[in-house]
Amino acid sequence: MVKKVLIVDDDQDMLLSLEEGLSEYDETFSILTAEDGLGAVDELKNNTISLVVTDLKMPRMDGFSLLSHIMEHYPEIPVVIITGYSTSEMERLAREGGAIGYIAKPFMIDDLAKRVITALRKEADGGTLHSVSSGIFLQLMEMEAKTCTVRLVEKSSGKQGILFFLEGQLLDARCDSLRGEAAAYEIFSWDDVSLSIQNACPQRERRIHRDLQAILLDAMVVKDELKRLGKGASPRKKEPAPSKEKVERMQPVERVKELLKREVGEGYGIEDIYEDNTWESFVKGIGRLGMAFKAGEFRVAYVDRGDSKDFILLPGESVTVVSVNPRCARDRIMEALSEESGFAGFDGSILSHERNL
Amino acid sequence: MKEIFNDILAMEDVQGVVFSSLEGEIFFMEPPIEIDRSLPLFIRALGGIREADLIFEKSRIYVRKTETGYLVILLGLFASGAMLRLHVDMALPSLKERGKGKGLRSLFRRNK
Repeated sequence: MVKKVLIVDDDQDMLLSLEEGLSEYDETFSILTAEDGLGAVDELKNNTISLVVTDLKMPRMDGFSLLSHIMEHYPEIPVVIITGYSTSEMERLAREGGAIGYIAKPFMIDDLAKRVITALRKEADGGTLHSVSSGIFLQLMEMEAKTCTVRLVEKSSGKQGILFFLEGQLLDARCDSLRGEAAAYEIFSWDDVSLSIQNACPQRERRIHRDLQAILLDAMVVKDELKRLGKGASPRKKEPAPSKEKVERMQPVERVKELLKREVGEGYGIEDIYEDNTWESFVKGIGRLGMAFKAGEFRVAYVDRGDSKDFILLPGESVTVVSVNPRCARDRIMEALSEESGFAGFDGSILSHERNL
Repeated sequence: MKEIFNDILAMEDVQGVVFSSLEGEIFFMEPPIEIDRSLPLFIRALGGIREADLIFEKSRIYVRKTETGYLVILLGLFASGAMLRLHVDMALPSLKERGKGKGLRSLFRRNK
């Protein structure tokens, strides 16, 4: 399991040389960088970081403020301080602030690497497991009333997540920018994970208040839903987009066909694409609803009337309708159509016309 | 009433929830959103739908018909559709339960 180490320093040359020097340890840990404390806060929010190495003197947010932020929000992440302005007072403050290491510049990169690896080993002092189902394992944690921090990596995507258990109770979870139950849902939807257990739970704030079993069950529902929507499908190689001129020459139905073929692929529950102005008054109604909520111009709608087919509607000179199987890759289709609807020429002209009346 | 929608309101990028009767009378709105007074008419005009996901230039509107009315959720463009539908599915039994017997008018405080 490759860990992520975040290095924070406003000295670009230092960042580059550390990145290069530590690259020989890339089977053990990978490097992320930030140029100051605020940049580091963003990286911490969006990644599952195992360790932070930070300079002290930096613009915008200094190393002490960053250390304090980490101790408050990510108490399980060890911090190593590197500084060119080392004094015994600074070292004392850094250690009191929670730093596990303090290194004065200049230093040997291998010495830093050793400190990093030693700290990272503690992440797995309770052992590691590979190719396990997270659900069964986590129920065992609960049954055995374990106090631990569990770090998980989903094998297929490389996504990382972290769970905090205090005496068998799931206190909190984190996965990229998600926290609490939302992160737990994401992590519990993973099928094949590698995980490491740290026999400590520095996290004390409780963000998850529901029973583990209930969250596991709900996570299964979300997982099934995402599978149904085709989100779990492996990435497909996209065909290149045609030129804007070529798209402008196409009729709306042809544009939609081309777009969906390119962005979504064959199948995915799409049954037919055609123009049908019997939807015109309905589309006008949607436009009015959008105006009532100040939502801007109408782009695309998914409509379920409880029939055997659902419909996706695009405004234009005529209403373009995509009829779909209710079990289609709904979100994927809608995302593709809404992202491209302006470019594809679905300009809401029915609504514009109505506004002009 | 608000507790039924707490999970939905807590979702990232959810901007508001409106629950109206099938006739368009607004029972619940959180947070109070400045909307066109004709909203009930517009909601009623969507009659015949079970569910609709409407994407606009600046935001999205999710509409779900329930046994007792229409649930309208205003979202940012990046809210998770699958997660929203799950939360709505989970909220529906509570809405139905709350609507039983006593009549909706006695349960829902009307926002003015």
